[in-house]
Order: sequence, then structure tokens, then C-alpha cells
Amino acid sequence: MKLAHTLDHAKWTFTTRRVERSRIAGSDRDFSAARSGDLILAHVEKLGQHLRVQLPCGRPSLIFPGDAVVLACGARYAPDQFEGLAEISAEGADLLAGGGCIGRMVARNERIKPATRLMPAARLLDKAGRTINLADFALRPRPSRSRPPVIAVVGTSMNSGKTLATAQLVLGLRRAGYRVAALKATGTGAFGDYNEYSDSGAHFVGDFTDAGMVSTYLQPLSRIKAGIATLLDAADEATCDIAVMEVADGIFQRETAALVADPWFGHLISGLIFACGDAVAAAGGVAHLAQFRLRPNALTGLVSCSPMASAEASAATGVPVLRKSDLADPAEAAGFALRARARLERAA
Amino acid sequence: MKDASILPDNDHVRTERITVCCAAGRLSAEILYPDWRVESPPLLVLHGISRNADTLARYFASQAQRTGRCVIVPHFNKQDWPVFQRPTKTARPDQALLELLNYLATRDPDLAGPVDIFGHSGGAQLAHRAAMLYPHRVSALHLAAAGWYCLPDRSMPYPYGLAAGKGVQDLKWVNRHAIGLETFLRLPLTLYIGTHDTERDDSLRQVPMLDAGQGLTRLARAHCYLSAFKTAACAAGIAPCAKLIELPGCVHDVVEAITRYDLATLVMDSSPDKMFL
Repeated sequence: MKLAHTLDHAKWTFTTRRVERSRIAGSDRDFSAARSGDLILAHVEKLGQHLRVQLPCGRPSLIFPGDAVVLACGARYAPDQFEGLAEISAEGADLLAGGGCIGRMVARNERIKPATRLMPAARLLDKAGRTINLADFALRPRPSRSRPPVIAVVGTSMNSGKTLATAQLVLGLRRAGYRVAALKATGTGAFGDYNEYSDSGAHFVGDFTDAGMVSTYLQPLSRIKAGIATLLDAADEATCDIAVMEVADGIFQRETAALVADPWFGHLISGLIFACGDAVAAAGGVAHLAQFRLRPNALTGLVSCSPMASAEASAATGVPVLRKSDLADPAEAAGFALRARARLERAA
Repeated sequence: MKDASILPDNDHVRTERITVCCAAGRLSAEILYPDWRVESPPLLVLHGISRNADTLARYFASQAQRTGRCVIVPHFNKQDWPVFQRPTKTARPDQALLELLNYLATRDPDLAGPVDIFGHSGGAQLAHRAAMLYPHRVSALHLAAAGWYCLPDRSMPYPYGLAAGKGVQDLKWVNRHAIGLETFLRLPLTLYIGTHDTERDDSLRQVPMLDAGQGLTRLARAHCYLSAFKTAACAAGIAPCAKLIELPGCVHDVVEAITRYDLATLVMDSSPDKMFL
């Protein structure tokens, strides 16, 4: 009764959005056994970098010492903020991401504050005594015969312009008359990208959390690929014509690097956009991707803000540079879909 | 032959006027709903530089009722759309048309699929360029008496063809028009031209490159376009579904083409399975 009361008044975070709360029947304090995705009730101990958590309804909520929050145990890789592991100590833990990721911080960008500290209170269990995990509420794999073509968006790093490019291309494709899925293949659960995709009018929005993962950092590649496949099947079920899929962080990041290098990825995608900050990064990225027989159809990101940098990047790579307004232009966006459809037809 | 002064009885057609807004500007249109429906695509009717959308709507209303097909007649007014014949950096009639179709699709699932497009003169110019950019939104293309064309090959620089022009903007537009070219070349295409549409009037673009590349008159340019379309399709391994219908004695006048030569009937009755007849 006391647990239920606490949970009713706790701030449930965005990563727990798919959880059926009625399934929670008990708890334990075996935090050392917590694994990625397990649901944790914790109390805010000391505010640090994060002053807010993200709620399932899509708004941020201020948090205060003493507040009860429900989050998922997970790792995080964010060069602009933290690196953290899916480890929790009964003595305390870190709020690794405001979307609802609790774990142990192991590295921090020196420009930001220490992580907000949390005091774990309970690991949540079902009536059979099993740990409640986000994977229990994931979209069910429904293998589809006709997955939509995929335009992948990768970049040099966090904050290189991938999310903006994804959202703007979604907008352009929707304007051109396509039913569009916006997907986030990797990263750590948060509503920022999710909301931006939705605001652009995507007909289906899904991320790795919908596939059962709070974060993809340190997850096996096979699980990440299965998650992408599940999201694409869901996009097909939502009768989407095409999917735009953002892959988090830079192409040297552990999971992104593995995904990009996997021939499965090359077969999966029908188009590729590379977001970067300058011409040198563009040249390096295009050369790196070429090792895996991947060639971007377009460059975008911060480089596209400067006509001079764009000209340099285009000259160095032979790949056109598109601004966000270009991606949102239905005439440009339709080209991605038409090219993708043609590629699928040739493959068939 | 029909009397041009007698307009058809449109009592059974419900007419709705709508206006859509998008980044490109505002566009109004009349939507003609017959009191019965078939599953065939709606027809989008694009006026020329006389901007006679109302007249076209009245003539196509009877066709809507006869065939059970919805007809959509946008009006690019002069104030908002000084240029509407082709997409440019500053004028995007294509975006406004998309917004119109998207809006209709959200309201009526019967209007959600690809549409047949008919355009006369400047409207035919917009029609074929829009179809090149968005072939997935088009089920058939009917081009009447366009002044000139964007040839689906690299024989002429953009905007007359798909060879690279001088500017960066031109290259962007070339790429946009070229990416969906194979899909475009699979569309059923019917060209209509009056055999007397040979006057080199002020509204006909007359530049040496165009005269040399597409011909001196609308009649010659229509034949040139048909040939280029077929050749491009064959080169892409596509059996072209394209034909040209000459209207004997007809000049550059859409009302005459409709009232004396049944142009609206020809357009509405055309279907892909009849294209090779």
C-alpha cells in the first residue's frame, strides 16, 4: 500500500511511458542486480546538472530534493554531458539523463555540472517477483514483408545537426504527400527528438525505448538491430511509405560505428544524410563511410549554414550540401523518396 | 459543334470554394463534387495566363457530373501569383498545389490518391513540371497547348531541358526534376494542340535557343515534346504511354477547344488502357 501510494505521487519519467503501472506488485532493494531497463524508484538527493525530468506527457518537470521519481536503470554516452553505466549502488546513483536514466556516472564534460544525485529506494517487481523492465513493454516484433525504405541520418557527433535534419526531411516528405515514420535508432531515451519528430508531422514516431531499451549504449549490436527492425515493422503497420531514421552521436561512437560498419545497415538503408560542422569533417566523414561502401546523398548540419563552408564541403566530397530549408522543401524531399523507391525496386 | 455561349447545366454538381495557405502563399480553388462517384482519380485543372479558373470550372462541372469524378480547379490570382507557370526560387506554385491536395486528402479519403492533371497553356507548363517533381502524386497528365516545355533529357539547359544551366539554383532544380524521371516517364501522357495554334504571339516565349531546340510554334513544340518524351522513356527501358491529339483548325483558345472540339470530354474520358488506341 505504501509503495503504491509513493508510485502514485512519483514523477514517472519519459522512458517509462510504455509501462503498464498496474503490473507493479512489489519491490526489492537488490540494486546490485539491477540491469539496463529495470525500473527504479528513487528520490532526488542533490540537484546537479539536471534540474528537471521529462514526463511521459511530453513536458519537463522541475525536481526538488526529496521528490520521488521513477526511471529506468541504464547507461549513457553523451560527450557533451556524461558517460555512465547501468550500475546502481544502494548508497546512491546519478541522474544520467532527464528523460529518465539512472546509473553511475564515470565521465563528465568539464563544462557541465556534476550529475544530479539520486537515492535509490526500490527496484520494482511484478506479482511473480520478477523485475519490471522496459523490454516487457516493448513493441512486439511483427515481421513485415514490406518494410518502408529508410533514409538514415548520421553525423560527426552529438549536436552536429542530425535531429534537425531528420525533422526537416520528415516535414518535406510529409508536404510531398508521403506517410512518414521518424525513428531514432540509438541513443538515450528523451523526449526532445521524439517531440521534434512529432511536431514535424511524422505519421509514426518511434525510438529504441519503444523497442524496449532505455539506452543503446553498451547494448549488443544484435539487440539494436532487432530494435530497428521492430520499429520499421511498426512503421509499416502504420502504413508509412518511408522512414527517416536518425542514428545518435558520431560515426566513431561505439554502437553507431558498429552499426555503420555492419553490411546489414548498408542493405537496410535506401538513402543517407551526413550531418557535420565544417568541410574538413565532411571530407573525413565521407571518406570514413566509403570504407563501408556508404556514400551520403547529401551533407547537412552546421556546415550548411555557411555558403563558403558548403562550397568547400561539396567540392571536397562531390556530395551536395542541403540546408534545413532544402530538406523541408517537398521538391527536394520527394527526391529522397523517389530515389529510395527506385533503389528498392531495383533490388527486388 | 457546340455554341460557346451556352454553358452546360451544372445543377447536380456541388461546388465548394476553399483556400489553403502554405509557405509559398495562399491558393484558392473550386472543388466540383458530382452527386455520384466512381473510383477514378480526381482531375486537377490548371488554367493558363488568362487565369480563367471560373470558366474552366463551369465547363468541367458537367464533365464531373457525367463521369462521377471530382474536379479541382485552383485559381492562381495575379496579385498572389504573378508567376505560376513553373517553380522558381521566388515562386512555388508546386508547393501550393501540394498543400491543396494534402488538405483535400485529409478531408476526403477518396481524394487522397494520385490525381490526373490537365493544364492549358501556362497551366500545362506547370502541370508537367509539377509531375516531374512529384510523379507519385500524378496518375495521368494532359497537356494542352503549352508554350514550351522542360524536355525530359539533357538536350537543352534548364529550364528548357535537364542539362545543367549556369547557376547553382538551376543545378538544384535540374536534380530535383531528374531524380524522379523514370517514374515520370511511366505516366500516361496526352498532349493536345490545335493545328492552327501556330501564331507567335506576345505570350509565346521566343528566344533563339528555344526556337531552335523545341520549334517556333506551340504546335511544333508539342510534337517536339512528344518525341522527346517517347525517346527518353525508351532510353530508360520504359514503354511510353504517350500520344498527341491534334484539334483540326483550333487556335490557342481553351474555350474554343472545349466547346468546338470537346477537349474536356477527351480529357475526362482518357484512361491508361485507351492510351495506345
